[in-house]
Order: sequence, then structure tokens, then C-alpha cells
Amino acid sequence: MKYAYYLSCVNESMTKELDKAFNLWKNEFDIEIEPLHAGTCCGGSNLEYVNPNQHLVMNGRNIAMAEKMGLDLMTSCNTCLLVLRHTKHELDHNEEKKAYVNEQLKKYDLEYKGTSEVKHLLWVLNEDYGLDKIAAKVKQPLSDKKFAPFYGCHILRPSSVMLGYDDPNSPSSLDSLIKVLGGNIVDYNSKNKCCGFHTLLVAEEESLDIGGNAVVEALDNEADYIVTPCPLCHTVLDGYQDEALKRKGRSGSIPVLHLSQIVGMALGYSDSELGINKHMVRK
Amino acid sequence: MDAEKKDIYFKIFRYNPEVDQESYFDEFKISVEKGITILRAMNYIKDHVDPKLSYRFFCQAGICGSCAMKVNGVAKLACTTQVWDELKKCKTPDVITIEPLGNLGVVRDMVINYNPVVDKLEKFMSWVEPAKKDSAFGEKEFIVAEKDFKIIDAATDCILCASCYSECSILDAHKDFVSPLVMLKAFRMNADTRDTASQKRLNLLTKDHGIWDCTHCYKCVEACVKNIPIMDGIHGLRNSAMNRGMKGEGYRHADAFRKDIYNVGRLNEPLLLLRTKGIFKVIGMTSFTIKMALKGRLPSLFVKKIPGLKKVRELMRSTSKR
Repeated sequence: MKYAYYLSCVNESMTKELDKAFNLWKNEFDIEIEPLHAGTCCGGSNLEYVNPNQHLVMNGRNIAMAEKMGLDLMTSCNTCLLVLRHTKHELDHNEEKKAYVNEQLKKYDLEYKGTSEVKHLLWVLNEDYGLDKIAAKVKQPLSDKKFAPFYGCHILRPSSVMLGYDDPNSPSSLDSLIKVLGGNIVDYNSKNKCCGFHTLLVAEEESLDIGGNAVVEALDNEADYIVTPCPLCHTVLDGYQDEALKRKGRSGSIPVLHLSQIVGMALGYSDSELGINKHMVRK
Repeated sequence: MDAEKKDIYFKIFRYNPEVDQESYFDEFKISVEKGITILRAMNYIKDHVDPKLSYRFFCQAGICGSCAMKVNGVAKLACTTQVWDELKKCKTPDVITIEPLGNLGVVRDMVINYNPVVDKLEKFMSWVEPAKKDSAFGEKEFIVAEKDFKIIDAATDCILCASCYSECSILDAHKDFVSPLVMLKAFRMNADTRDTASQKRLNLLTKDHGIWDCTHCYKCVEACVKNIPIMDGIHGLRNSAMNRGMKGEGYRHADAFRKDIYNVGRLNEPLLLLRTKGIFKVIGMTSFTIKMALKGRLPSLFVKKIPGLKKVRELMRSTSKR
């Protein structure tokens, strides 16, 4: 299985451990990647209103580069997933917009055709590789631990541009993955809610309240870890956990894992190999 | 052939502030035929089991928006939601949970206090402010061209049911937040060719608890009973504010993405903080920065330029017209 791999800005800077962990085990899962080094930032769900034309052309270019390689485009960040899928949805359903984007791209020997799918790593593991095969790879089942899955918004909503992997009101793909790794699931209301990342710099108190709700609920349900497929959710739930819990008037702490790290744990890699020791919150 | 029938449990939120210290759930077991809506099941309970059960409804056809309530945890119109569809979503088999909308106070059972919505609709001038004086009305038609109406077409489908209001993440954290519903109305009014109050509305909307506080969680879009792309309206308002140069933290934060793509191809995370908050506020965040640095999580100030940046810049320039 080979994919063009979209390099998310956050994984290149603040959450480098996500890709570090992924790179440890991807070969064991027959996942081959071609990193999209020349890809630009997706715009973080902001460029689309700063300049809708630039948003379409730059993200059309990102997908067109994967198309030129003849590969589907995979990402490990929810917001990159949403922006790229939104772009794909618009270009696949609007000939006028597609023609505009291609008029711009043809100067650079690129064309958006709509031939590459845009997928999240979580989807690739669930469907392209398959849960049965993952179960067979597990060396250290996570059976003594309880995990609170936190999906993040942009892998679920709006469901009209997603691939139908999950019911946004009752998602299950991350739960299923945790289960085949041997882990126990904590069922809690926050799992499909928002972490508040996108307003962290403009409405900090509200963002910390939202993120704090999820952390408190995971603690109340006695989870050992929160697990998320999104590095932006991780940034709030791990990096700002202290501040969020203070706002909620709560004590305690709970480590937050990337999707790539929990897979690595079940394959027997150590915390330091997986970069878990780099997180703000430790066990 | 007899219609398919089943015994179903309705676990219904109850609260009467005149009597109850706190809210509780009542469970009603009723026999329901396939094809029945949640509203008709509720009406059966009210008519035959407990007449005190309180909720609003009127048109029973998905038009008036008054019967919005949470069904199995999600805001929906009771009159357009099939009991049989909900059976697939029950946490406990055959137990359908009914609760009032979120983010609004409860008057009694499923009856919510709608006043905050009305107050915000009024505060943000959710009506067309026409150029014509009232006295000049009726003299000449004011026609909206089809292409202009197309822009607001979807937004005019809003029936004010407040499902989006109920699901909004930011409203959950702060009740003063403008709300998706009111932003959608503001977008619709601002884009109406007969309207003259767009700048006034944007001035109000770019204040605290306004458009920049939306966290793009898309819960409103997912909850909308009319499938209105509410986020397009919110983005539309932000686009107008930026085009009019209405600068503030929200503007600076969003524009940093465009600038970084042009300058390096990627986002410069530390500079994003600096650009959004300004140097003085960032200095005030030193304890957080030190903690990040101790963990080796502080990104470098110098982001490596992506290969082929020259072409990216050309593309950004040739598409820069907003």
C-alpha cells in the first residue's frame, strides 16, 4: 500500500513525535509513503475565507501532486483532512471551480482530475490495511489499560465531505482500532466533541473550557489515557491540559496519545522510542 | 398486512421548576407502529399516559421549527424524525432518550427559553434595513436578481429551530457568543442587495463573542435540520470583514496562514502566536513557553522553505484577487 503523505505543519514543528512513531511501524504494516515535501500548508481551515481562490488553487495543487504520482493522499491531521476533502468535494462537484484551478495549475504541469482519494491514517488502518491484520501484529496487548477515544471534529464533520467511515454522532473507527490493539474503551460523551484548538489564540477561555470538559470527563471515567487521531486536539488536550483543568477547578492529569503512538505501544515500542516522553503530561 | 409494531421505551427528561428540586427522567413504554414520528409518539404519551408532559409543536411538517429537541442526544425536529430510524441509534436497545435542546435554559420538560435567541436576533439586526424610506414603499418594486438571490438561497431556508444553537461548542462555553443561527441570519441580510446595514452589522459581529470566536467545529452544520451549509455563511462574514480591512486578533490570526504560505510554504507556528497576540501578550505567556521548551516542544522560529517555493509564490500572486 503506497500513499502520498501530506506533511502537516503541526507535525513538522510541535508534534514531531506523531510521525516519529508512525515511521517506526509503518513498514510492518506494509505502508509505503512518498512525503509531499513540495506541498503547502492547507490553510488550517482559515485560508478558505481569507481568500477562497487561493484556498482552492493551493489545495487543488496539493491533491494534484498526489494524482501525478498516481497515489491516494494520506494525512495524519484532522484539519488537513477536512480542508483537502473540502477542496476535493468542491472541485469534483463544480466544473467552473475545477476549470479555474486547472487554468492556474497548467502553467506548472499539474492538473486536478479527481483521481486521488484523500484519507486519514485512521481510515487507512481501519479499511485499507484492515483490523484483522492489525490484531495479528499485536505483540503487547494493551489489555490492562483504559482508553478514552477523542476523535476531533474534522475527521467527522461535516459528514457530507467525509467518506462515510464514521457516524459523526456515534463514531466507532478509533474505538475499533483500540479494541484490536487489546485496549479497553471508556465510553464518554466528549468523544465526538470539539477540543477548541481553532480559537485557542482568539478565544482562549472558551477553548480551554471546551478542551477541559473532555479532560475532566475522561478523568471522571477513570481512563488511563486519552487517544486522538489529530495532532491539533493533542496540542490542546496535552499542551494546555494544566491550564484547562485549572479553569475547571480540577486536579489530576491524564496522558494524551497520538494514534500512531498507541499502535506503537501495542507493537512493543518503548515510550521514549515513540516520543511519549516528549509530551507535556506524563503518567 | 398489519404494520410492523414494537414496544418501545421513551426515556424523557422531566423538570418543572415550580415543583422539582432537580431534573430527572421518566420512562414510558408504548407500543409503536413503524412509520410513526417521534412527535406522534410524544403526542400519544401526552394524550394517553401523562398529560403534564410539556413540549412545543405546531406545524408537524418540518416547517415551523418549534418541536426541536434532543433525540438520543442529538438536536432534531421531533416531527420529521422517525422512531424506527432512532432505534438504530439507541445506546440501550429500544430505549429512545428525549431531552430539551442544549445551551438554552429549561422552562419545563422539553420547553426551552427561546429569549436569548430573540435577543441576539435583535442585537445583530437580523432583518433587511432597506435604503427606501417606509413612506416610499409600494411605489416601486425592489427586485432581487436571481444571481444575487442564489448567494442567500440556502440561508433563507433557516426556520429558527435552534438545533444549531443547541449543538454549538462555543455557546456551551460562553452564553454571550453570537451563535451559528444569528451569524447565518447576519450573512443572509448582509448579502441581500436591498440591505444597507452590512457595515453596522459587521461592526457588531467583530466585537467580543462575535464571528472570530467560532471554532469551526461544524457541529451546527451537522445539526442543521435543513442541511444549510452554515459555515459558508460564517466564512462569508469573515471574508467580508477581512476585505473591509476590519483588523483585530481574528483577522491577524487568519491572515498569518496566507502570509506564511507565501513566505515559506508552511505555517510558522511560533510566529503565528506572535502575530495573533502581539509581542506584549506573548511576553505574558512565558511560563507556558518555558514548559514547552523544557520538553523540547518549542518549534524553531526558522521554518525551512518548501522546495519549489518560487512557483507557489507565483500561484499565490496570480490568485490573490479576493
